[in-house]
Amino acid sequence: MNSIELNSVHKFFGDRHAVQNLSLAVPEGSVYGFLGPNGAGKTSTIRMIMSILYPDSGTLSVLGDTTPERVKDRLGYLPEEKGLYKKMKVIELITYFGRLKGLSKNEANLRATRLLDRFELSASRDQRCEGLSKGMGQKVQIISTIIHEPEVVILDEPFSGLDPINVEMVRHLILELRQQGRTVIFSTHIMEQAEQICDHILLINAGQKLLDGPIQSIKQQFDDTIMIEFQGDPSHFQMEGVTRVNNMGRNAELSIAAGKDKQQILRSLMDQLEITSFSVKEPSLHEIFVRTVGEHQT
Amino acid sequence: MKRTLLIALREYLENVKTKGFWLGILMMPLTLVLVGVMPQLVESAREAKTYAVVDHAGIMSDVREMILKDDFVWFLAKYDDEQLANSDMPTQIAQFLPELRALDDSERSVIANYILEDAGHDLNLSRRLNALLDTNRAAFNSWWRDLSPSEKAVFSPGISTNHFVESMVTAAVATQDTEKRLNQRVEDGELFAYFILEDDLFQISDHARYASNNLTDQSLENWLGGKVSRHIRNQRLKSSNLDDKTAAWISETVTFESVTVGADGTQEVSNDDIARQWAPLAFVFFLWMSILINTQLLLTNTIEEKSNKVIEVLLSSVSAIELMSGKILGIAATGLTIIASWATIFLLFFVALPSLVDARLPIDPTAIFGDITTLSLFLMYFVLGYLLYAALLVGLGSLCNNLKDAQNLIMPVQMIQIIPMLLLVPIIQDPNGSLAVTLSYIPPLTPFVMMNRTAGPPTDFEYASTTALLVVSIVIAFWFAAKLFRAGILMTGKPPGVREIWRMLRSPVTPMKSKSQPPH
Repeated sequence: MNSIELNSVHKFFGDRHAVQNLSLAVPEGSVYGFLGPNGAGKTSTIRMIMSILYPDSGTLSVLGDTTPERVKDRLGYLPEEKGLYKKMKVIELITYFGRLKGLSKNEANLRATRLLDRFELSASRDQRCEGLSKGMGQKVQIISTIIHEPEVVILDEPFSGLDPINVEMVRHLILELRQQGRTVIFSTHIMEQAEQICDHILLINAGQKLLDGPIQSIKQQFDDTIMIEFQGDPSHFQMEGVTRVNNMGRNAELSIAAGKDKQQILRSLMDQLEITSFSVKEPSLHEIFVRTVGEHQT
Repeated sequence: MKRTLLIALREYLENVKTKGFWLGILMMPLTLVLVGVMPQLVESAREAKTYAVVDHAGIMSDVREMILKDDFVWFLAKYDDEQLANSDMPTQIAQFLPELRALDDSERSVIANYILEDAGHDLNLSRRLNALLDTNRAAFNSWWRDLSPSEKAVFSPGISTNHFVESMVTAAVATQDTEKRLNQRVEDGELFAYFILEDDLFQISDHARYASNNLTDQSLENWLGGKVSRHIRNQRLKSSNLDDKTAAWISETVTFESVTVGADGTQEVSNDDIARQWAPLAFVFFLWMSILINTQLLLTNTIEEKSNKVIEVLLSSVSAIELMSGKILGIAATGLTIIASWATIFLLFFVALPSLVDARLPIDPTAIFGDITTLSLFLMYFVLGYLLYAALLVGLGSLCNNLKDAQNLIMPVQMIQIIPMLLLVPIIQDPNGSLAVTLSYIPPLTPFVMMNRTAGPPTDFEYASTTALLVVSIVIAFWFAAKLFRAGILMTGKPPGVREIWRMLRSPVTPMKSKSQPPH
């Protein structure tokens, strides 16, 4: 059962073809990552799912409904650019957003109180939003996103601009939502985060889908890489059979051309560099991303 | 609908907490105070103007007598009961003053002659009053003549010697020197002005001069000039061997009695009718202010919310149309609250307060504001006018990210909003003229022009057809505003040009085709 399905969706902004022929299925209960560089079409896709924008052609089904406006109340959305009404009190604001999602006043108030407690914000309950620190504001926005217990939670670049403590908080939240059986979609251009949390990914660039599917099966489509820890001159990596090098300083991830002998390559590397550890692994998402986007652009 | 109301409610609660809201409410009493009280305050604060007269014509003693008499007539009509009761006025005089006040102006003038100049009178007065006047006229005469200008002013502040004070000069011979000295006194601020009446003024009307360093304030010139002219005219009439009665008859001015033509023929005019004739001015002004204030509020509010980045969160729960309608509705409620407060303040000011302090108003406010038709029209035109301008401004405003961009974009709308104020007087002077009728059919002007014409009043057909046209325009404006709002509300960067806006307007409303820049 899929929470969200897109079929051949197109979206234009003037002459720009922002989303091109996008088809997609987000399985229920998955954590789904929309990955791609800035301007790839991630936000436009999310806005179409939220029926903030409408596709120019193609069809969309959200929670089984082909008119996504009708299921807005069952979705929670945290946009990348998020604001608060500065003059409103924290509790009023959260209650208001809850009521816009169809909760009764009492129910919204009750849940807001409970969530404020859970996010350790009870002390700021009657504070005006303009007086909140950035991290506290972030929490208030998250509470507003999930107060109506949505079946699908969509987070647009939830980690951007967060300090490590808040990154951790959001990460926990996503995992917790998954545990509760909710579908979580989030967009990011930071591959390491996606790799840690996602079950499924969509890789999109310049409006076009490059890859999608369960993260494991995607990795299997790519050849293994050699991860090494080394000391010495990295120019020695340039040798026959090594198609790409992701040099991280002391570590490096080497992509090996199909059919080449990994043992052979390792041996010749050891002749020229001091290798302290090595492993043969599936490629990282970063590697897949760079490789695919690179291929796509050429 | 429920969400629209929720948004409207939040908008309303937020707005009533702002300074702008309370300023809007205070505007009414402030305007009332400015219009009603300030002129009086200014008048009473104004210093008396001192003048001198070089009287070669030898008429000033007569003119002074005329001033004394004119003030006396004024006093008889407008004396202040309370001040008089506290004064040392002989009680035998005080007892018949109310009866004199009840006479009309020309009768009081005859009585003034009778008392001050020992002339006879042919008025048909009660025997008792005649007797009282006869016994007391000498005492009354000397009482009045002995009062200083400041004492007179206490009884009736309007008398002329309270405002214009003559500084006596003894200059029988015209010398260059006299004028030089007077010039110096004007220069020093000692004199406001001086008059020179040449000796042949009786023959040649323009042989008089007025000198002052302030020629914009003509009150003194008009006042003393009027008295001198009247005196000279009387002299000329006398010299033509006319008897006094014929002379008075010749110099009488023709006066017109104002009447409004009602549906059932001619009615006599009352102050209330005049008030009703001019009331539309006040209504149009307040209508204009209300619509202007509220549409501006809507515009700034939309742009603020856009820069607040709350919009996208809201749009995840409601549609753009619900959001737009909620905003427009919430601010309409704010506007109606302000208007309701005005009405309350007005009633307190004009109805409750005067009855508490037992003051009499020159007009009966309920004659204007008790009129349910006018009030309903005001409400209707506020709602319709607001909706039309709200749609225009919210549509265009949603395309902008700051007020500066918005100012450029909505300039045309603001130009239209100024027109009703420019037309205020021409329309009220000719409420059923072709200009007024034509303008009634231009929807952005309809509310103001029709409100302006209520004294006309327009025909039922005109009310119906202009309102229908206005409603149709509102629907069209909303249709376009919705398109702009949907496309514009998430736009960032520079506001679009005219061509881009035109493209947005041509796109169908559902499903939305945003032709704007991509968000990211």
